[in-house]
Amino acid sequence: MRDKVKHLALSLSTFIVAAAVWEIAVASGRFPHALLPDLRTVTEKFFALVGSGILIWTTLGTILRLLIGFLIGGVVGVVAGLLMGRYRWVEDFLLPAVSIGYPIPALAYAPLFVLWFGLGNTPSVLLVAVASAFQITINTWKGVTAVKPIWLRSAEAMGASEKKIFYSVVLPASLPYTMTGLRLGLGAAWRVLVGVEMITAVANGLGSLIFAAKQFLQTDVMLSGIIIIGLIGYLLEKYVFSAIERATVVRWGMVRL
Amino acid sequence: MSIAALVSGRTLRGAAGLLTFIALWEIFARSGIFPRSLTPSIVSIAISTYYLVIDGDIFLHILFTFGRVIVGLAIACAIGVPLGFAMGRSKTVATIFEPALSVLMPIPSLAWIPLFILFLGLGNVTTILVVVYAAVFPMLYNVWRGVQTVNPVWLRAGLSMGSSPRTMFWRIVLPASLPFIITGLRTAYGRAWMAVIGGELLAGTDWGLGRLIFEAKEWLSTGVMMGTIAIIGLIALLTERVIFEMIDRRTVVRWGMVRASE
Repeated sequence: MRDKVKHLALSLSTFIVAAAVWEIAVASGRFPHALLPDLRTVTEKFFALVGSGILIWTTLGTILRLLIGFLIGGVVGVVAGLLMGRYRWVEDFLLPAVSIGYPIPALAYAPLFVLWFGLGNTPSVLLVAVASAFQITINTWKGVTAVKPIWLRSAEAMGASEKKIFYSVVLPASLPYTMTGLRLGLGAAWRVLVGVEMITAVANGLGSLIFAAKQFLQTDVMLSGIIIIGLIGYLLEKYVFSAIERATVVRWGMVRL
Repeated sequence: MSIAALVSGRTLRGAAGLLTFIALWEIFARSGIFPRSLTPSIVSIAISTYYLVIDGDIFLHILFTFGRVIVGLAIACAIGVPLGFAMGRSKTVATIFEPALSVLMPIPSLAWIPLFILFLGLGNVTTILVVVYAAVFPMLYNVWRGVQTVNPVWLRAGLSMGSSPRTMFWRIVLPASLPFIITGLRTAYGRAWMAVIGGELLAGTDWGLGRLIFEAKEWLSTGVMMGTIAIIGLIALLTERVIFEMIDRRTVVRWGMVRASE
């Protein structure tokens, strides 16, 4: 019991200290109220924004953009990765281009995409796709090349067709890597999306919401947006992928979680 | 590399791949899907890049961007490494900081830009702070995990042979967790680049590669934009290949802790 109380107190300590520092800074009066609102104002604003539906719509817009972009990036990445892993000439053909494209931060393309596709949804979704595709390609490719040759040979020796080998050996054996790639890709997509939304000024987006709030010195709106952004990031990391992994690779006994 | 290896099938196919992409771009650029001024041909990209380099300003832009990455990374290490070690070695420290970590880590660094601008204005401080935010979590998290995964047998062996806490740290904990620390540094470096470009695009003032792209957009100088993107890719690729592979070779590979990737 005492240990539990101590644990709880320690866990909460950083939040309590941060809240105290915040309130002291507010009380000191050194910052204008609009710039540094007290915590109660922020909480009230947060619930007001949720209640009026604004925050819910912007959140939906952001999640939709993330999912569509990630879907495009995922399909391109997995297909490219599988082909590169399976066929030597595809690997030789694509690898230099992939290794040059991979380290370029997707955000560097943002102004270019805005020129091509205008402001709004198209460049945002495409940039999310670009940001995730490279991670997914590289990991899927590594996964296919890491399939144990003995599995391939035994499947061949037992007379499995090319198609059968692909679906029953290569695909499941490379899946742990592909999953890692998808997870990293989703993370990359998420990290880039908020910034992209600021640049492309999309209509319903958390990034554009907090960027617009800056113009009106609405720190409370910005913080409300950041809270939701943190929440989405947390849920993505904590639930979405570990659930998929449990359902596939962990269940097949390929990796332990 | 011998000439035979250079003209081997592999290299040829790689070059063919790159050439195909360039050719596809050229077709796309000339197709008129977008106005020609928005999709410059390879030649005009090359000319723009040439003038960027000849002009000399590009080196100052690179210097500023790179400087921000390094300063941000250094601050992130100064926070992340000691805190990671403390969290790995002490359960109490871990309990204190873990909740804050799981709240702050999923927030992308770019989300803070508007708030930082409001408090700190445009410019260096904001951009570097964004880089620090982006780089500190991969650093901290990996150091922490690295210390946790130090083989307990090594720790017990060190203790029973009477090592002082200092020796334990320098001779066992630090080298044993180094592969994780290097992984952390690598991830942090990649994220720092992403953050610095975002910071310069949204909060930059005059110098920096992100700023260069942003200003080129105002003038529709797509050649300059694409040249700058290529330069960013080149720098990132070179630093990754040269610096990190050297660090790997000098430390963990040499100590036989991981095998060198070919």
